[in-house]
Amino acid sequence: MVIDMHVHPMFLEEAALTEEELERSRQEMGLYKTDAFGISQWERDCRCAGIDRLCILPLDTGGMPLVHNEKVAELVTRYPKRLIGFASVDPNRESAADDLEYAFGELGLKGLKLHPSKQRMFPADDRMWKLYDICRKYRRPVVFHSGVSMEPGTLTRYAHPLEFEEVAYRYPDVKICLAHFGWPWVREVCMLMLKYRNVYTDTALLYFDDPRQFYHQSLEVDIGKHWIDRSLRHQVMFGSDDPRLEQRRMITAIREMDMRESTKELILGGNALEFLGGDI
Amino acid sequence: MVCYKELEYETEKYNEMRPIGADVNRIVESSGIRTGVVYVITHHTTTGIMVNERLECLEADIMEKLGMIFPEDGEYYHARFLAEYGAMAGNPTGHLKSMVSGNHTVMPVIDGHVVCGSAQEIYLAEFDGPQDRTVSVVVMGEGQR
Repeated sequence: MVIDMHVHPMFLEEAALTEEELERSRQEMGLYKTDAFGISQWERDCRCAGIDRLCILPLDTGGMPLVHNEKVAELVTRYPKRLIGFASVDPNRESAADDLEYAFGELGLKGLKLHPSKQRMFPADDRMWKLYDICRKYRRPVVFHSGVSMEPGTLTRYAHPLEFEEVAYRYPDVKICLAHFGWPWVREVCMLMLKYRNVYTDTALLYFDDPRQFYHQSLEVDIGKHWIDRSLRHQVMFGSDDPRLEQRRMITAIREMDMRESTKELILGGNALEFLGGDI
Repeated sequence: MVCYKELEYETEKYNEMRPIGADVNRIVESSGIRTGVVYVITHHTTTGIMVNERLECLEADIMEKLGMIFPEDGEYYHARFLAEYGAMAGNPTGHLKSMVSGNHTVMPVIDGHVVCGSAQEIYLAEFDGPQDRTVSVVVMGEGQR
Protein backbone atom coordinates (compact mmCIF):
# COMPACT_ATOMS: atom_id res chain seq x y z
CA MET A 1 0.00 0.00 0.00
CA VAL A 2 1.31 3.41 -0.97
CA ILE A 3 0.41 6.25 1.41
CA ASP A 4 0.97 9.96 0.96
CA MET A 5 1.31 11.18 4.54
CA HIS A 6 1.26 14.91 3.81
CA VAL A 7 -1.74 16.27 1.93
CA HIS A 8 -3.68 19.47 2.62
CA PRO A 9 -7.49 19.48 2.27
CA MET A 10 -7.90 23.26 2.31
CA PHE A 11 -8.81 23.57 -1.36
CA LEU A 12 -11.02 20.52 -1.73
CA GLU A 13 -14.46 21.34 -3.12
CA GLU A 14 -16.01 18.51 -1.10
CA ALA A 15 -14.93 20.36 2.06
CA ALA A 16 -17.72 22.77 1.01
CA LEU A 17 -15.65 25.86 1.61
CA THR A 18 -17.04 29.29 0.87
CA GLU A 19 -15.14 31.63 -1.42
CA GLU A 20 -14.18 33.62 1.67
CA GLU A 21 -12.76 30.50 3.33
CA LEU A 22 -10.90 29.58 0.17
CA GLU A 23 -9.33 33.01 0.02
CA ARG A 24 -8.33 32.72 3.67
CA SER A 25 -6.65 29.39 2.90
CA ARG A 26 -4.78 31.01 0.02
CA GLN A 27 -3.55 33.83 2.22
CA GLU A 28 -2.76 31.74 5.31
CA MET A 29 -0.95 29.06 3.36
CA GLY A 30 0.66 31.43 0.90
CA LEU A 31 -0.78 29.47 -2.01
CA TYR A 32 -1.98 32.61 -3.69
CA LYS A 33 -3.06 31.17 -7.03
CA THR A 34 -4.44 27.82 -5.96
CA ASP A 35 -8.03 27.15 -6.99
CA ALA A 36 -10.51 24.74 -5.46
CA PHE A 37 -10.54 21.27 -6.96
CA GLY A 38 -12.77 18.25 -6.60
CA ILE A 39 -12.05 14.84 -5.12
CA SER A 40 -11.95 13.54 -8.69
CA GLN A 41 -8.70 15.45 -9.13
CA TRP A 42 -7.18 13.55 -6.20
CA GLU A 43 -8.57 10.26 -7.54
CA ARG A 44 -6.93 10.85 -10.90
CA ASP A 45 -3.70 12.05 -9.27
CA CYS A 46 -3.59 8.89 -7.17
CA ARG A 47 -4.23 6.62 -10.15
CA CYS A 48 -1.56 8.44 -12.14
CA ALA A 49 1.00 8.35 -9.32
CA GLY A 50 0.21 4.88 -7.97
CA ILE A 51 -0.91 6.16 -4.56
CA ASP A 52 -3.54 4.30 -2.54
CA ARG A 53 -4.23 6.51 0.45
CA LEU A 54 -3.94 10.19 1.33
CA CYS A 55 -3.44 11.45 4.87
CA ILE A 56 -5.15 14.82 5.06
CA LEU A 57 -3.75 17.38 7.49
CA PRO A 58 -5.96 20.33 8.44
CA LEU A 59 -4.63 23.42 10.18
CA ASP A 60 -6.16 25.29 13.08
CA THR A 61 -4.58 28.72 13.20
CA GLY A 62 -5.38 32.39 13.62
CA GLY A 63 -8.50 31.81 15.70
CA MET A 64 -10.27 29.50 13.29
CA PRO A 65 -9.44 26.23 11.51
CA LEU A 66 -8.84 26.39 7.80
CA VAL A 67 -10.80 23.14 7.63
CA HIS A 68 -12.69 22.05 10.73
CA ASN A 69 -11.99 18.65 12.27
CA GLU A 70 -15.64 17.73 11.82
CA LYS A 71 -15.29 18.35 8.10
CA VAL A 72 -12.20 16.15 7.96
CA ALA A 73 -14.15 13.39 9.68
CA GLU A 74 -17.00 13.81 7.18
CA LEU A 75 -14.59 13.56 4.27
CA VAL A 76 -13.09 10.37 5.68
CA THR A 77 -16.56 8.90 6.17
CA ARG A 78 -17.42 9.79 2.60
CA TYR A 79 -14.16 8.50 1.07
CA PRO A 80 -12.99 5.84 3.54
CA LYS A 81 -10.89 3.90 1.05
CA ARG A 82 -8.92 6.96 -0.01
CA LEU A 83 -8.57 9.31 2.96
CA ILE A 84 -6.97 9.14 6.40
CA GLY A 85 -7.93 12.10 8.57
CA PHE A 86 -5.88 13.97 11.13
CA ALA A 87 -7.08 16.60 13.57
CA SER A 88 -5.62 20.02 14.14
CA VAL A 89 -6.07 22.17 17.22
CA ASP A 90 -4.65 25.57 17.99
CA PRO A 91 -2.72 25.27 21.28
CA ASN A 92 -3.30 28.99 21.82
CA ARG A 93 -6.99 28.26 22.32
CA GLU A 94 -8.08 27.42 25.84
CA SER A 95 -10.30 24.63 24.58
CA ALA A 96 -7.46 22.96 22.65
CA ALA A 97 -7.31 19.88 24.88
CA ASP A 98 -11.09 19.45 24.82
CA ASP A 99 -11.09 19.93 21.06
CA LEU A 100 -8.49 17.20 20.70
CA GLU A 101 -10.31 14.82 23.04
CA TYR A 102 -13.39 15.30 20.88
CA ALA A 103 -11.43 14.82 17.66
CA PHE A 104 -9.95 11.53 18.80
CA GLY A 105 -12.76 10.22 21.00
CA GLU A 106 -15.82 11.25 18.99
CA LEU A 107 -14.63 11.97 15.47
CA GLY A 108 -12.17 9.08 15.32
CA LEU A 109 -9.39 11.07 13.72
CA LYS A 110 -6.08 9.27 13.47
CA GLY A 111 -3.50 11.79 14.61
CA LEU A 112 -2.70 15.40 15.41
CA LYS A 113 -1.20 18.01 13.10
CA LEU A 114 0.61 20.94 14.69
CA HIS A 115 2.44 23.80 13.01
CA PRO A 116 4.67 25.51 15.59
CA SER A 117 5.76 28.26 13.18
CA LYS A 118 2.25 29.14 12.13
CA GLN A 119 0.80 28.69 15.61
CA ARG A 120 3.71 30.63 17.14
CA MET A 121 4.36 28.13 19.88
CA PHE A 122 7.45 26.07 20.63
CA PRO A 123 6.91 22.30 20.69
CA ALA A 124 8.02 22.19 24.34
CA ASP A 125 5.81 25.10 25.45
CA ASP A 126 3.94 24.33 28.67
CA ARG A 127 0.62 24.55 26.83
CA MET A 128 1.63 21.68 24.55
CA TRP A 129 2.11 18.91 27.11
CA LYS A 130 -1.57 18.32 27.73
CA LEU A 131 -2.00 17.72 24.00
CA TYR A 132 0.76 15.13 23.96
CA ASP A 133 -0.85 13.50 27.00
CA ILE A 134 -4.03 13.07 24.99
CA CYS A 135 -2.08 11.61 22.08
CA ARG A 136 -0.50 9.16 24.50
CA LYS A 137 -3.92 8.27 25.94
CA TYR A 138 -5.40 7.56 22.50
CA ARG A 139 -2.15 6.16 21.02
CA ARG A 140 -2.25 8.73 18.28
CA PRO A 141 0.81 10.15 16.48
CA VAL A 142 1.69 13.79 15.88
CA VAL A 143 2.78 15.35 12.60
CA PHE A 144 4.68 18.57 13.23
CA HIS A 145 5.61 21.03 10.58
CA SER A 146 9.39 21.31 10.95
CA GLY A 147 12.11 23.35 9.33
CA VAL A 148 11.41 26.34 7.14
CA SER A 149 7.84 27.32 6.33
CA MET A 150 7.09 29.31 3.21
CA GLU A 151 3.73 30.33 4.62
CA PRO A 152 3.35 33.99 5.56
CA GLY A 153 3.42 34.95 9.22
CA THR A 154 5.81 32.18 10.19
CA LEU A 155 9.05 32.26 12.12
CA THR A 156 11.35 29.35 11.48
CA ARG A 157 12.85 29.23 14.97
CA TYR A 158 9.67 27.65 16.35
CA ALA A 159 10.19 24.64 14.12
CA HIS A 160 13.92 24.03 14.27
CA PRO A 161 14.34 20.25 14.69
CA LEU A 162 16.19 20.61 17.97
CA GLU A 163 13.09 22.23 19.48
CA PHE A 164 11.37 18.82 19.22
CA GLU A 165 13.94 16.82 21.12
CA GLU A 166 12.33 17.27 24.51
CA VAL A 167 9.02 15.99 23.12
CA ALA A 168 10.73 12.92 21.68
CA TYR A 169 12.57 12.41 24.96
CA ARG A 170 9.61 12.85 27.32
CA TYR A 171 7.11 10.93 25.16
CA PRO A 172 8.97 7.89 23.83
CA ASP A 173 5.65 6.10 23.38
CA VAL A 174 4.19 8.84 21.18
CA LYS A 175 5.30 8.74 17.56
CA ILE A 176 6.15 12.14 16.15
CA CYS A 177 6.86 13.09 12.54
CA LEU A 178 9.11 16.07 11.87
CA ALA A 179 7.66 16.83 8.46
CA HIS A 180 9.59 18.18 5.49
CA PHE A 181 12.71 16.43 6.83
CA GLY A 182 13.18 19.59 8.90
CA TRP A 183 14.79 21.23 5.88
CA PRO A 184 17.33 22.76 5.83
CA TRP A 185 18.33 20.94 9.03
CA VAL A 186 18.27 17.47 7.52
CA ARG A 187 21.32 16.32 9.51
CA GLU A 188 19.66 17.35 12.75
CA VAL A 189 16.58 15.33 11.83
CA CYS A 190 18.80 12.34 11.09
CA MET A 191 20.42 12.76 14.49
CA LEU A 192 17.02 12.79 16.20
CA MET A 193 15.82 9.73 14.29
CA LEU A 194 19.00 7.89 15.15
CA LYS A 195 18.68 8.75 18.82
CA TYR A 196 14.89 8.43 19.23
CA ARG A 197 13.03 5.55 17.65
CA ASN A 198 9.72 7.43 17.99
CA VAL A 199 10.89 10.19 15.63
CA TYR A 200 9.86 9.97 11.98
CA THR A 201 10.07 12.35 9.08
CA ASP A 202 8.49 12.74 5.64
CA THR A 203 9.71 13.52 2.16
CA ALA A 204 7.65 16.68 1.61
CA LEU A 205 10.63 18.85 0.82
CA LEU A 206 11.28 20.77 -2.36
CA TYR A 207 12.59 24.30 -2.14
CA PHE A 208 15.03 24.46 -5.05
CA ASP A 209 15.42 22.76 -8.43
CA ASP A 210 13.24 19.76 -9.29
CA PRO A 211 12.38 16.83 -7.01
CA ARG A 212 15.05 14.52 -8.42
CA GLN A 213 17.78 17.13 -8.04
CA PHE A 214 16.62 18.34 -4.65
CA TYR A 215 16.32 14.86 -3.16
CA HIS A 216 19.80 14.11 -4.43
CA GLN A 217 21.20 17.24 -2.81
CA SER A 218 19.26 16.96 0.46
CA LEU A 219 19.16 13.19 0.99
CA GLU A 220 22.34 11.99 -0.71
CA VAL A 221 24.77 14.90 -0.37
CA ASP A 222 23.75 16.98 2.65
CA ILE A 223 23.44 13.73 4.57
CA GLY A 224 25.34 10.52 3.87
CA LYS A 225 24.18 8.73 0.75
CA HIS A 226 23.45 5.54 2.70
CA TRP A 227 22.12 6.98 5.95
CA ILE A 228 18.46 6.38 5.11
CA ASP A 229 18.97 3.06 3.37
CA ARG A 230 21.14 1.57 6.10
CA SER A 231 20.04 3.22 9.34
CA LEU A 232 16.86 5.26 9.06
CA ARG A 233 14.82 3.19 6.62
CA HIS A 234 12.03 2.55 9.12
CA GLN A 235 11.48 6.22 9.97
CA VAL A 236 11.07 8.02 6.64
CA MET A 237 7.59 8.30 5.13
CA PHE A 238 6.49 9.48 1.73
CA GLY A 239 4.75 12.86 1.87
CA SER A 240 4.09 15.17 -1.05
CA ASP A 241 2.82 18.44 0.47
CA ASP A 242 0.09 18.51 -2.17
CA PRO A 243 -1.16 20.96 -3.42
CA ARG A 244 1.99 23.04 -2.79
CA LEU A 245 4.04 20.30 -4.40
CA GLU A 246 2.86 17.70 -6.87
CA GLN A 247 2.44 14.09 -5.82
CA ARG A 248 3.36 12.55 -9.15
CA ARG A 249 6.69 14.34 -9.44
CA MET A 250 7.61 13.77 -5.81
CA ILE A 251 6.86 10.05 -5.83
CA THR A 252 8.61 9.56 -9.16
CA ALA A 253 11.75 11.06 -7.67
CA ILE A 254 11.51 8.76 -4.64
CA ARG A 255 11.11 5.73 -6.89
CA GLU A 256 14.21 6.78 -8.85
CA MET A 257 16.43 7.11 -5.77
CA ASP A 258 19.42 4.82 -5.48
CA MET A 259 18.47 2.67 -2.51
CA ARG A 260 17.13 -0.80 -1.80
CA GLU A 261 13.70 -1.51 -3.25
CA SER A 262 12.68 -2.77 0.18
CA THR A 263 13.63 0.63 1.64
CA LYS A 264 11.51 2.40 -0.95
CA GLU A 265 8.58 0.15 -0.07
CA LEU A 266 8.95 1.16 3.56
CA ILE A 267 9.13 4.84 2.64
CA LEU A 268 6.14 4.61 0.31
CA GLY A 269 3.80 2.95 2.75
CA GLY A 270 5.17 0.49 5.27
CA ASN A 271 6.47 3.12 7.63
CA ALA A 272 3.25 5.12 7.46
CA LEU A 273 1.28 2.05 8.47
CA GLU A 274 3.60 1.61 11.44
CA PHE A 275 3.40 5.30 12.30
CA LEU A 276 -0.39 5.15 12.26
CA GLY A 277 -0.39 2.06 14.42
CA GLY A 278 -1.84 -0.02 11.61
CA ASP A 279 -5.14 1.68 12.27
CA ILE A 280 -6.36 3.18 9.04
CA MET B 1 -23.09 35.56 -36.14
CA VAL B 2 -20.95 34.15 -33.35
CA CYS B 3 -21.56 31.16 -31.08
CA TYR B 4 -19.31 30.67 -28.05
CA LYS B 5 -19.20 27.49 -25.96
CA GLU B 6 -16.76 25.83 -23.63
CA LEU B 7 -15.84 22.16 -23.40
CA GLU B 8 -14.71 20.74 -20.06
CA TYR B 9 -12.47 17.71 -19.69
CA GLU B 10 -11.00 15.79 -16.79
CA THR B 11 -7.78 14.39 -18.17
CA GLU B 12 -6.56 11.11 -16.71
CA LYS B 13 -2.85 10.90 -17.47
CA TYR B 14 0.28 13.00 -17.19
CA ASN B 15 0.53 13.16 -20.98
CA GLU B 16 -2.35 12.16 -23.20
CA MET B 17 -4.06 13.00 -26.45
CA ARG B 18 -7.81 13.37 -26.03
CA PRO B 19 -9.84 13.35 -29.30
CA ILE B 20 -12.37 16.18 -29.15
CA GLY B 21 -13.48 16.51 -32.79
CA ALA B 22 -16.90 15.00 -32.16
CA ASP B 23 -17.52 17.42 -29.28
CA VAL B 24 -16.52 20.37 -31.47
CA ASN B 25 -18.75 19.18 -34.26
CA ARG B 26 -21.73 18.90 -31.91
CA ILE B 27 -21.30 22.54 -30.93
CA VAL B 28 -21.02 23.58 -34.57
CA GLU B 29 -24.13 21.64 -35.54
CA SER B 30 -26.16 23.20 -32.75
CA SER B 31 -24.84 26.71 -33.34
CA GLY B 32 -27.14 27.50 -36.24
CA ILE B 33 -24.17 28.65 -38.28
CA ARG B 34 -24.07 27.12 -41.75
CA THR B 35 -21.00 28.69 -43.34
CA GLY B 36 -17.96 30.02 -41.57
CA VAL B 37 -15.12 28.85 -39.35
CA VAL B 38 -14.71 27.31 -35.94
CA TYR B 39 -11.88 28.20 -33.58
CA VAL B 40 -10.86 25.64 -30.98
CA ILE B 41 -8.69 27.26 -28.29
CA THR B 42 -7.31 25.82 -25.07
CA HIS B 43 -7.38 27.91 -21.89
CA HIS B 44 -4.11 26.52 -20.59
CA THR B 45 -0.36 26.85 -21.01
CA THR B 46 0.49 23.18 -20.50
CA THR B 47 -1.94 21.76 -23.04
CA GLY B 48 -2.13 22.01 -26.80
CA ILE B 49 -4.67 21.74 -29.57
CA MET B 50 -3.45 19.46 -32.33
CA VAL B 51 -4.85 18.16 -35.58
CA ASN B 52 -3.54 14.83 -36.76
CA GLU B 53 -4.53 11.35 -37.82
CA ARG B 54 -6.20 9.33 -35.09
CA LEU B 55 -3.94 6.33 -34.96
CA GLU B 56 -2.47 4.93 -31.77
CA CYS B 57 0.93 4.63 -33.39
CA LEU B 58 0.97 8.32 -34.31
CA GLU B 59 -0.34 9.36 -30.91
CA ALA B 60 2.48 7.39 -29.30
CA ASP B 61 5.09 8.76 -31.71
CA ILE B 62 4.00 12.36 -31.14
CA MET B 63 4.20 12.03 -27.36
CA GLU B 64 7.42 10.02 -27.42
CA LYS B 65 9.22 12.46 -29.72
CA LEU B 66 8.02 15.48 -27.75
CA GLY B 67 9.37 13.73 -24.69
CA MET B 68 12.73 13.35 -26.39
CA ILE B 69 12.84 17.05 -27.26
CA PHE B 70 11.90 18.03 -23.70
CA PRO B 71 13.05 15.21 -21.41
CA GLU B 72 11.71 15.00 -17.88
CA ASP B 73 15.22 14.82 -16.45
CA GLY B 74 16.48 17.78 -18.47
CA GLU B 75 17.87 20.99 -17.05
CA TYR B 76 15.27 23.75 -16.91
CA TYR B 77 15.20 27.25 -15.45
CA HIS B 78 11.51 26.72 -14.63
CA ALA B 79 12.43 24.62 -11.58
CA ARG B 80 12.41 27.04 -8.68
CA PHE B 81 10.19 28.51 -5.99
CA LEU B 82 7.70 31.01 -7.39
CA ALA B 83 6.92 33.52 -4.66
CA GLU B 84 3.82 34.80 -6.41
CA TYR B 85 2.37 31.29 -6.41
CA GLY B 86 3.82 30.20 -3.08
CA ALA B 87 4.67 26.96 -4.85
CA MET B 88 7.38 25.34 -6.88
CA ALA B 89 7.61 25.62 -10.63
CA GLY B 90 7.66 22.01 -11.66
CA ASN B 91 6.17 21.68 -15.12
CA PRO B 92 8.66 23.08 -17.64
CA THR B 93 8.17 20.17 -20.03
CA GLY B 94 4.44 20.85 -20.15
CA HIS B 95 4.94 24.49 -21.02
CA LEU B 96 7.50 23.71 -23.71
CA LYS B 97 5.46 20.95 -25.33
CA SER B 98 2.48 23.29 -25.31
CA MET B 99 4.53 25.89 -27.15
CA VAL B 100 5.37 23.40 -29.88
CA SER B 101 1.84 22.09 -30.08
CA GLY B 102 0.14 25.48 -30.23
CA ASN B 103 -2.93 26.62 -28.39
CA HIS B 104 -5.59 26.45 -31.11
CA THR B 105 -6.79 25.29 -34.47
CA VAL B 106 -9.22 26.72 -37.01
CA MET B 107 -11.44 24.56 -39.23
CA PRO B 108 -13.93 25.47 -41.94
CA VAL B 109 -17.66 25.13 -41.36
CA ILE B 110 -19.77 24.27 -44.40
CA ASP B 111 -23.43 23.30 -44.42
CA GLY B 112 -23.44 23.41 -40.62
CA HIS B 113 -20.65 20.86 -40.16
CA VAL B 114 -16.94 21.00 -39.46
CA VAL B 115 -14.97 20.24 -42.60
CA CYS B 116 -12.22 17.80 -41.74
CA GLY B 117 -9.99 15.80 -44.04
CA SER B 118 -10.64 12.11 -43.83
CA ALA B 119 -7.58 11.61 -41.62
CA GLN B 120 -8.03 14.65 -39.45
CA GLU B 121 -8.91 14.50 -35.77
CA ILE B 122 -8.84 17.42 -33.36
CA TYR B 123 -7.00 16.62 -30.14
CA LEU B 124 -6.71 18.24 -26.77
CA ALA B 125 -3.12 17.36 -25.87
CA GLU B 126 -2.46 17.14 -22.14
CA PHE B 127 1.13 17.76 -21.07
CA ASP B 128 0.75 18.22 -17.31
CA GLY B 129 -2.13 16.08 -16.22
CA PRO B 130 -4.24 14.86 -14.78
CA GLN B 131 -6.10 18.15 -14.53
CA ASP B 132 -9.43 19.80 -15.22
CA ARG B 133 -9.20 21.44 -18.63
CA THR B 134 -11.33 23.91 -20.55
CA VAL B 135 -11.43 24.47 -24.30
CA SER B 136 -13.18 27.40 -25.96
CA VAL B 137 -15.10 26.75 -29.15
CA VAL B 138 -15.98 29.85 -31.18
CA VAL B 139 -18.12 29.39 -34.27
CA MET B 140 -18.23 32.43 -36.56
CA GLY B 141 -20.16 32.74 -39.80
CA GLU B 142 -23.53 33.01 -41.44
CA GLY B 143 -26.65 31.22 -40.36
CA GLN B 144 -29.34 29.64 -42.50
CA ARG B 145 -31.07 32.08 -44.84
